[in-house]
Amino acid sequence: MKRSVFLSLFTALMTLMILGSGTALAQKKVRLAYVEWDCSAASTHLVQAVLQEKMGYEVEILPVAAAAMFQAMATGNVDGMVTAWLPVTHADYYERVKNRVEDLGPIVGGARLGWAVPSYVNINSIEEINYHAARFKNRIVGIDPGAGLMRLSEQAMKDYNLDKMQLMEGSGATMTAALDTAIRRNEWVVVTAWSPHWMFGAWDLKYLEDPKGVLGGEEFIHALVRKDLKKDKPEVYNFLKNFEWKDAGQLQMVMAWDQERGADRYENAKRFIKENEEQVNSWLK
Amino acid sequence: MPRIPLGEVIETFINFLVTNFSFLTMAFTRIMESVISFMENTLMLLHPLLFIIAVSALVFWLTRKKGLSIFALAGLLLIWNMQLWEATVSTITLVLIATLTALIIGIPIGIVAALSHRVNRVVQPVLDVMQTMPAFVYLIPAIPFFGLGKVAAIFATVIFSMPPAIRLTCLGIQQVPEDLVECADAFGSTKWQKLFKLQLPMATPTIMAGVNQTVMLALSMVVIAAMIGARGLGGEVWRAIQRLQMGSGFEAGIAIVIVAIILDRVLQHLGSKKQ
Repeated sequence: MKRSVFLSLFTALMTLMILGSGTALAQKKVRLAYVEWDCSAASTHLVQAVLQEKMGYEVEILPVAAAAMFQAMATGNVDGMVTAWLPVTHADYYERVKNRVEDLGPIVGGARLGWAVPSYVNINSIEEINYHAARFKNRIVGIDPGAGLMRLSEQAMKDYNLDKMQLMEGSGATMTAALDTAIRRNEWVVVTAWSPHWMFGAWDLKYLEDPKGVLGGEEFIHALVRKDLKKDKPEVYNFLKNFEWKDAGQLQMVMAWDQERGADRYENAKRFIKENEEQVNSWLK
Repeated sequence: MPRIPLGEVIETFINFLVTNFSFLTMAFTRIMESVISFMENTLMLLHPLLFIIAVSALVFWLTRKKGLSIFALAGLLLIWNMQLWEATVSTITLVLIATLTALIIGIPIGIVAALSHRVNRVVQPVLDVMQTMPAFVYLIPAIPFFGLGKVAAIFATVIFSMPPAIRLTCLGIQQVPEDLVECADAFGSTKWQKLFKLQLPMATPTIMAGVNQTVMLALSMVVIAAMIGARGLGGEVWRAIQRLQMGSGFEAGIAIVIVAIILDRVLQHLGSKKQ
């Protein structure tokens, strides 16, 4: 008796769930992955807001690690993302997934990689680093070993013959922490950097000149979607294909809004939609 | 010397599993996701204040310790005040599901391993791998099977937190004094009688220590799990780390500690009471 009650309860629950997941599929849902970088968060929240406010989709955005983001793209677990830095920064990741995703082209250009120092450091070029190695404590503060920026930085160490310097591995967080500490103590420090990034808003920094051009030229942030999106959700596909910022300045502007105290990224995205009605509508055509 | 293609072999094997079995695991994910969101929504239905009072009362009823109940009350109120309530509920749900799964699988394995020398010999090295393999190594391959989000996080958490439940269950049963076992044999008790009337009761404190460890390990996984989209308190910590917001990082960290202390003390008490 007891068992049959339990069994019927269980079946009822399962039916409910299967029904539930069925209706969930019928709704207009989109899943996007992103990484908690400022540029990525700003773009992703804007895409979410446009899809929800203007097109009536329900959008789930998942903050994950960069490797997880590309892995999820490759397996079609998420519909898309707007955070692929190409041609250099994410080249390794992109190479592994390129057969299983569709590249919708850049959403913004004007991004770049480089080595940055606080503006009070009075050298201007990577070539001068070795001479001042001791003031920099013989180290260049890097980020996670897998990043394209680190690969290029290793190349730069060779090309500029920086034999007195060492490239320290860490993460984006440890890099900004090291920068923060050095600036508080007014010490010299050189970090591997990229922009757009909030550190350029938080502190007065400058890129060192790279006369040999080892650290790459202009970078573009691309939108990637899974292969079948065009077939499954043509509307979403079309929007993501059209979606782009006017220029890097426009993206930086929203990133600056997000940096304000108590800022809500989704509200800021809605504010952007309101203030740039025409541009947003052009994405929806 | 030729390089042994260990990595390639593993990758081929995983790809084979993905192409042939991922439809099953993905269906499982969809069901689990609705279970999780159902649990979360139910817990969120309660007003936080009501929830907090209920939990503190429950803690008192379980342990009869005034200090601990007051700590639970104050701690949870602090979490609520830090606006981390939703994240906390999500984390608690995740940890509960993960530890229950780990225990449901782990304790029976522990019992079998204690009773059979052969099983034990197979299980021990597997446990070593589960415990020492860095979690991130199987987080990324877990994505094709379970997708981004909570289910993959639970999978990783179960693998990471199950070993102590198995090990300590096994140990507890093996430590039941030989003469008592012989005594039970002499009185002609069956294998099942021996297990349920003697070995398991005698081993309960050790098993509960294992349960305790499992819960703690599950809680320590929340930040790593956030890297594949588990959100919750771990997500708050991880975001704060990435954005160098020391303050909010510590706030979320403290919330995890509060949850951990409450769970730990209650479980420890339950373990010692049975002695």
